[in-house]
Amino acid sequence: MDITTEVHPGKQTSELVLHGRFDAHEADLFRAAVEQALEDGHHNIRVHLANVEFVDSTALAELVRGMKRCRELRGDLVLVSPSDPVRVILELTKLDAAFDIA
Amino acid sequence: MTELSTLNNSKLDAYREWAATPIEGRPKFSVVIPAYNEEWRIVPTIGAIATHMSSLGHPWELIVADDGSTDTTVELVQDLGLVNLRLLIADQNGGKGSAVRRGMLAASGELVLFADADQSTPIEHIESLVQEIDAGHDVVVGSRAADGAEVANKSLARKVFSSGLSLLVRGLFRIPVSDTQCGFKLFTADAADLLFRRQLIDEFSFDLEILYLAGKFDLTTTEVPVTWIDAPGSKVDAAKVAAEFLRDLAIIRWNDLRGRYDIDNHAAPPRLIS
Repeated sequence: MDITTEVHPGKQTSELVLHGRFDAHEADLFRAAVEQALEDGHHNIRVHLANVEFVDSTALAELVRGMKRCRELRGDLVLVSPSDPVRVILELTKLDAAFDIA
Repeated sequence: MTELSTLNNSKLDAYREWAATPIEGRPKFSVVIPAYNEEWRIVPTIGAIATHMSSLGHPWELIVADDGSTDTTVELVQDLGLVNLRLLIADQNGGKGSAVRRGMLAASGELVLFADADQSTPIEHIESLVQEIDAGHDVVVGSRAADGAEVANKSLARKVFSSGLSLLVRGLFRIPVSDTQCGFKLFTADAADLLFRRQLIDEFSFDLEILYLAGKFDLTTTEVPVTWIDAPGSKVDAAKVAAEFLRDLAIIRWNDLRGRYDIDNHAAPPRLIS
């Protein structure tokens, strides 16, 4: 999986654009990207999932962890345009109700 | 010829219809997932499979063959509420081969795929397997060793194990595939019925037995390269499995010599929950 981080000046928001399969092998990479964004003072993170075809349970747990970290800092982690399979997985696990999905 | 049309903009709609509307008539595809204590992995796998299979434009059914799970696998699958998902519950753990056998014999599709519960081979590969069925093969095996295959995160022990098995199998059994153990195999309904009724091995090497039987009964078998991502939490202990595999090679030959494959072995009817 590749992660590209985009920052819009003045918005205090990090855009994490993911591409590929997000599974347990990629959890550390994602966590590092989230922590870097928070360290940079960006407490709002938008995770783009349009090009992610599969998320496993570890990836889902990592997304939840990131969301909780952001909310602790009065920000949020938003899922942007999840692909169809990822959206179905979010629904089946009932996590679609936990996240703000844009 | 099987026409498979994936329409990206209607994938979600196709899934929602499949999830809520019972299919009528015989399904084109059955997908069988064997599951033993898969509470951590099975729901995302079902989501990925259901989304893709629903997008192909054919009626299909999903069968989860529990193998006596002691965690919450059964409850999780039951709670999904997918009307075209059948759950076969086993009272006790009988081995992966026993779960796959029950699932394959319960399947009613024209083509029957079994796929591991960890989505280590992405379901999108089914199209290339179907092409080989259309070309006249009875059994098509997803292969991590064929030219063009992509394997990620596989441990050195498992690589050595797989290579050694491949040499043994090709040399001793004359099975025309380089990877007998990949958990992604497609069968015509007739082939599945013939082979799985005769399957005697319940453990890891049941795949080998099935492919051996395919050769014995003059079914045509081929392989196609697939992507395979080693999923963390794999239950395969390479050293233990290698020892069992060698033992089972001998057992399969012995079974054949005794004529045990000439008789149908009807599996006990599974406890079925729709």
